[in-house]
Amino acid sequence: MSAAVALERPLSRRGVERLDLLLLCVEALDFNGGEAMVWISAQLGFNELFPNRVELWKRRCHNPLRRSFRRGSLAPAETDALIRILGVMAERLYPMLHQLLASSEPEALLQERWDLFAARLGELVRERMNPRRSGVQRLLDPIAGAPLRRQLILSLALAAGAGGFERLRASLLDADG
Amino acid sequence: MFQTASLKQTLQFDQQSCRLTLEGLPDLSAGHSGDAIGILTGWSLAWVGRPEELEGRREHLEAILRVVLAYARYLISGVPRRVGAAEEPASISQGEDGRHVLHLRSSQAGVEPLSLGLDDAELADLVRVLDRLRLDPRLQVSLPEDPCRPLRAREVQGRTPLPRRLSGVVGGALALGLSAAAAWLLPPPPAPAPAPGSPPVAAPRG
Repeated sequence: MSAAVALERPLSRRGVERLDLLLLCVEALDFNGGEAMVWISAQLGFNELFPNRVELWKRRCHNPLRRSFRRGSLAPAETDALIRILGVMAERLYPMLHQLLASSEPEALLQERWDLFAARLGELVRERMNPRRSGVQRLLDPIAGAPLRRQLILSLALAAGAGGFERLRASLLDADG
Repeated sequence: MFQTASLKQTLQFDQQSCRLTLEGLPDLSAGHSGDAIGILTGWSLAWVGRPEELEGRREHLEAILRVVLAYARYLISGVPRRVGAAEEPASISQGEDGRHVLHLRSSQAGVEPLSLGLDDAELADLVRVLDRLRLDPRLQVSLPEDPCRPLRAREVQGRTPLPRRLSGVVGGALALGLSAAAAWLLPPPPAPAPAPGSPPVAAPRG
């Protein structure tokens, strides 16, 4: 598959879900994450795509797991812009992501950090996602949700930095398995 | 970056857990500027808290770059898989404990292969270091391309548990079977009455 083809293809349902959940993780890690996204969007020159916070929120509502789900698909330019914003946010939060993923950290401290992250993410998920969806229930499950949350944090860590944009975009365009 | 009195150049890429250092010379015949590296003479990869410092030739660095970035590509999609064959200079796979094991084989006779276990944070650091190396405009050496492409359906099959993957097929087959059974149980519709004036139909004999 050529890169040109991939660029023109809209994200699958699963891709949109993952992109929005990754943005939600950023908000769980950074209390001012929502504000920071709007600011970074302006800094990156996405004013036309997302002129205000509401437009940014409307694009994220294409996630089928949302309570206020919007039909239709994200345009490739909007997808790319959201991935760029996510990449910058992940870069800013990389030290925190590193701490969560490092096995050299003391076990008790590590558990405390994961508990804090899980609690904050849970609050945001309950507030914005449809609790009847099995994907949401799985994410909120203290046991079954742990590997999902770790995968989200690892994805953020691998999406940060110079090559992260291409890597994450290709991943979001994966075929549905 | 430090510049010595000679043309020798050093590029250094640091992360919290590792440091990659490249040494080389600008290829002046190719028109490179003085701070570029066009001829790679050596590299080393050092890890915090580990005695091993990896060194090697250019092909070893290329092999590490190729396998680690391809592995990271699978990992970000949630389908970790081994990259690199056993006879290649480098390969990487996920161990049973969830750590990522980088296997390195020296081209020198008598040197034992080296296996380096990395946690998720160390792997992320290594990926960032390799990304920066690959995209640094001062490095004028052709390196392997990063194969960032969407995965095909069969490549991401492991991401969804088998029962969930089969649920659609099994549900469809069940619905079809139930519909067929219901249709078989229904009484056949009565034969249409003959229209007045039409010739009588002969009753079957026997």
